[in-house]
Amino acid sequence: MAKQSIEYFWKLKGFEPNDSQREAILHTNGPLFLTAGPGSGKTRVLLWRTLNLLVFHEVKPEEIFLSTFTEKAALQLKDGLRTLLGLATNVTGKPFDISKMALGTVHSICQSIITDRRFSEGGARKHPPLLMDSLSQYFKLYNRRFWTQLCLTGGFEAETSANMEINEYFGNTSSQYGPSQSRHSAVTEVINLFNRFSEESLNPDTCQTSDATLTKMLRMYKAYLDDLNSHPLIKQVDFSLLQKMAYEQITSLAEASSVYKHIIIDEYQDTNAIQEKIFFSLSKGNKNICVVGDDDQALYRFRGATVENLVEFETRCSNFIDVKPKRIDLDINYRSRKNIVDAYTGFINIADWKKEKPATGHYRIHDKNIKAHSTDTQPSVVVSSHTRAENVYRELAEFVYQLKLNGKIEDYSQCAFLFPAMKNNVRVNGFRQAFEAVNEAFNLTGTPNELRIYAPRAGRFLEVDEAMAIWGLMLLIFERPHYGDTQNQSLRQFRQWLFDCIAYANQLCSEDPLLKQYVTDRKADLALIAKDYEILSKVASKAKLNIKDAFKYSMIRTFAEAPGLSPKGKKNLSNKFFTDIVRKRELEGKPFTIEYIINRSTSVDWSVLDLFYQLNGFRHFRDMYSLAQSGMDEGPVCNLGLITQYLSRFMEEYSSVITAAYMSEDKFSHSLFSSYTYALYRLGEAEYEDAEDPFPKGRISFLTIHQSKGLEFPVVVLGSADKREGEANIKELIVRELLQKEGEPLDKISKFDNMRMFYVALSRAKNLLVLPRITTTRSENSVPRPDQLYATDEFKTFFTSNNLTAIPDFDINTLPSAAFEKEDLGKAYSYTADYLNYAKCPRQYMIMRKYGFVASRSQTMMFGSLVHQTIEDLHHLLINERKKAATV
Amino acid sequence: MTPEEIEDKIKEIFEQNYEMLKLEGGHALTPDVTQSALTQVLYYYRKMRSVAERVTDTEVKLTLPDQLTPDGRRFTIEGIVDIVREEDEVWMYDIKTHDPDYITGNKQFYEKQLNVYAHIYENLRGNKLDHTAIISTAFPANMKAAIASGDAKRVEQELPKWNPLIDIPFDQSKVQATIQDFGAVVDKIETNCFEPPSLAVLQAKIEGTNSIFASRVCRNCDARFSCEAYREYALQTGTRTQSNFKKYFEDFGNDLEQEEFLTANINLDKINSQPEIPQ
Repeated sequence: MAKQSIEYFWKLKGFEPNDSQREAILHTNGPLFLTAGPGSGKTRVLLWRTLNLLVFHEVKPEEIFLSTFTEKAALQLKDGLRTLLGLATNVTGKPFDISKMALGTVHSICQSIITDRRFSEGGARKHPPLLMDSLSQYFKLYNRRFWTQLCLTGGFEAETSANMEINEYFGNTSSQYGPSQSRHSAVTEVINLFNRFSEESLNPDTCQTSDATLTKMLRMYKAYLDDLNSHPLIKQVDFSLLQKMAYEQITSLAEASSVYKHIIIDEYQDTNAIQEKIFFSLSKGNKNICVVGDDDQALYRFRGATVENLVEFETRCSNFIDVKPKRIDLDINYRSRKNIVDAYTGFINIADWKKEKPATGHYRIHDKNIKAHSTDTQPSVVVSSHTRAENVYRELAEFVYQLKLNGKIEDYSQCAFLFPAMKNNVRVNGFRQAFEAVNEAFNLTGTPNELRIYAPRAGRFLEVDEAMAIWGLMLLIFERPHYGDTQNQSLRQFRQWLFDCIAYANQLCSEDPLLKQYVTDRKADLALIAKDYEILSKVASKAKLNIKDAFKYSMIRTFAEAPGLSPKGKKNLSNKFFTDIVRKRELEGKPFTIEYIINRSTSVDWSVLDLFYQLNGFRHFRDMYSLAQSGMDEGPVCNLGLITQYLSRFMEEYSSVITAAYMSEDKFSHSLFSSYTYALYRLGEAEYEDAEDPFPKGRISFLTIHQSKGLEFPVVVLGSADKREGEANIKELIVRELLQKEGEPLDKISKFDNMRMFYVALSRAKNLLVLPRITTTRSENSVPRPDQLYATDEFKTFFTSNNLTAIPDFDINTLPSAAFEKEDLGKAYSYTADYLNYAKCPRQYMIMRKYGFVASRSQTMMFGSLVHQTIEDLHHLLINERKKAATV
Repeated sequence: MTPEEIEDKIKEIFEQNYEMLKLEGGHALTPDVTQSALTQVLYYYRKMRSVAERVTDTEVKLTLPDQLTPDGRRFTIEGIVDIVREEDEVWMYDIKTHDPDYITGNKQFYEKQLNVYAHIYENLRGNKLDHTAIISTAFPANMKAAIASGDAKRVEQELPKWNPLIDIPFDQSKVQATIQDFGAVVDKIETNCFEPPSLAVLQAKIEGTNSIFASRVCRNCDARFSCEAYREYALQTGTRTQSNFKKYFEDFGNDLEQEEFLTANINLDKINSQPEIPQ
């Protein structure tokens, strides 16, 4: 075999592609449509196809656009490609540098397109826009001043009436109280609508509607866009507008459609309207667009994704770029045992996907033929006994323990429980309790076999143990805000949560006297600055000074020597750094105000993040670190890391310095608890969050089916086979009306989405798929009828038409053992950020880099980034200057 | 563009970058610190203009793929450098913002790093390479003092003595050992070995500096409070009395750091704004 052939490399890597894989990899010319069933080796095909282009067809890395859905998947592609190309370099001696390849999520590639010289007139480098993530976007709109202004610009009379009208429009109305007055829910609805508008490239100036409320919201959208463009130096964008901005840049330049020779898009079923426009506009020139996806796994309609992009790709491709794509089906599943594959392919066909006459065709790609590679026909799909919920929980909990005990799984993280929804789900709690009961019954607590779950999305994140401990201790130190008598349900719930946190913190303090002492000391810090504040304010008023006036250097003594001022207050007002800066500012003609000086002298030395890190020094928290350091249990430290991210966000949005004036009249307490934490608390109710949660070792992961996308587990337990069908989302109706679009029939959308979601869940299992059969009957004694089940109609049909083994009859010995797989792709490590940092201190590396804790003071880091970034820009500038000189 | 115009442009770019970082991170730097960051870039340009003007590729990402750890894991090494490519010779630079004394004192670290980078650049990419060096943009003590004094003459005097370019000879014989060691670290990361260094390490002096590990590294680490090694170090003197315990926790950085934090971050608009009170 010639060394210079791709077959040689396949052999080297032990890869034997099947016929369609081979055809897909070797395809290099014209549009390509790859349908890729679950576990069909799609990632490998993408990697080898890209390698083929780079190594054997002289395509340069910067001429390839390769996008996928998550950062994690992008990283995998990057690592895999680097490994394969490393191999190619070793054989051919030719280096490949993929750092210039457009490889990432669509969002991240859009970001780089915006600053890419190839996409701007005259090759100038544009400055990137400031990207707001969804939390920033929420806080921006939720801000009362901003929101009120937005409502008024839209044509509403006042904020309250606007909230009610918007909430009514979106159906947030209760029969008892009428339309909700909640700003939170109005803002949340409007954000989703705005994002959808941006993704549909809707122009608020030209859209017409007879609906008065919608007209006002269109005006609000326009005002929102204007505001984001108002900063003189930096444009702001949200995630949706980022894509729109990239699209506009592409279409404004004729050469842009030929910059990339190959456009490859993974997870095409979850792309949206603006993304489709981007892809087609980029491939107009070279016409090499390759889309990969599985319509049956489309999950993100609620975020504006349209599975039609994939289902109708053949037609749309012909329309947009005038060439019909070649279709190849990757339809052999290498992931799962045979029964599992047969189960989910049978399942998806239970629904009727045919279009209604006179239309012809289907709402899915119905002519795929997914087959298992495995010939193992032993039972691999099992059901629980058909019984009451608590019995099912217990049976499954014991079963998981048996799997571990029998060595069928090596670590609990090899088993995942998947749920359609996690928030307020009674099943989640039921399983949790059953696990605890099994731990007790079998004396597992404290042993390596103890059943522990990781379910940060089960309740609100704020309800996890670690968050309640930290917030409880902060409540003890800062004192809880008061709301008086309120009828507001969600506020009452929140208040209860505050009480629970406080009770928990009190318990921790009673167990650890040092912690109690610490809390007392911090309260004393606050009392001290409050007293100093009073004294200094008195000095100002006695001298008839207006606190907004300039503070003169000559006043220092008057303040510093105020009778009764604490030594700390005195030091704050007389240390050299302070007096120097006061004098300097005065000489420069930019004196501080008296108010500023009083605030500055009456501030505590710590921020909320400092507080967090210190609290972590007490036994209760220290133990969590020890568990992670030795690799025993990562769960609690993962949660602590998330907490630092929330606290640092507070410091960004509000003030990082805590002063006595800020503490007065409960201002700080209301900022931290009533505004910020309450917003997080309510946002936590949302069903889907963006967070890519870790899967800590040693724990059974409880995930939403959405979170399980793209993953596989040796054992998958479906936590619930039930999901009610709902009405189509109103945003869908709005967009269809405003833009005259068509799509899947509104009354079927919900069923289709449920089917696809469960299909994803079922196809995650490698060795064993476990399905629950929970009866709806109340009686303990009677045998339930087959249809008395908490399950969708399709699952009922599925259970009756398949003869599945029940757990009590299942022979666990027939189950293959799951080995821990070593990632063959090879991760990338940075010499400085990984190797040197680990060498310096493994523990600091773990905390800061692996679990992403946010440092409390980032001066040094910010200094470094600023210098580095500016030097890089300077180099670019000088390189450009030289090029200019050379052409002259 | 004339050098003066370039300097004006640097100020403009710097301003924009600072705005961006501030908006992204929500933190600010004190005016002094900001000024000194700008000064660093300006002096880099003045002092290293001949290098800066010849840079052919900036922020070049180097990768060494398909390496094997002792336990058999695959991994890739990554690094970023600047390259000056000219007809007669090729230089590789790594720009660092930490102080030159530390770098000179710990040359072996940087040697290893640049050796691996050079190995990738030369052997894997088939490029010619003649020199590797570190550019340290931080000022040495004398230079810092001169700038702080505001005395232009003193700066003039110090400027020629300052050499930001630290030549790092490259020697391919040690590359394999470094890669081996790198692989061993990857194994430890992947198997979750994250115990802190021992007390002895914390008490030992760091090469090229006058400070010990605990004060140079630990004191700047937020996670020190929950760290057994640091706890042992901090509490070792005296008995574990109440006051000792308080001192341990009441460590929020020195006065200067504290004042800098305040100067940078007090924001009266934020402090005075009325928070939401839900009803």
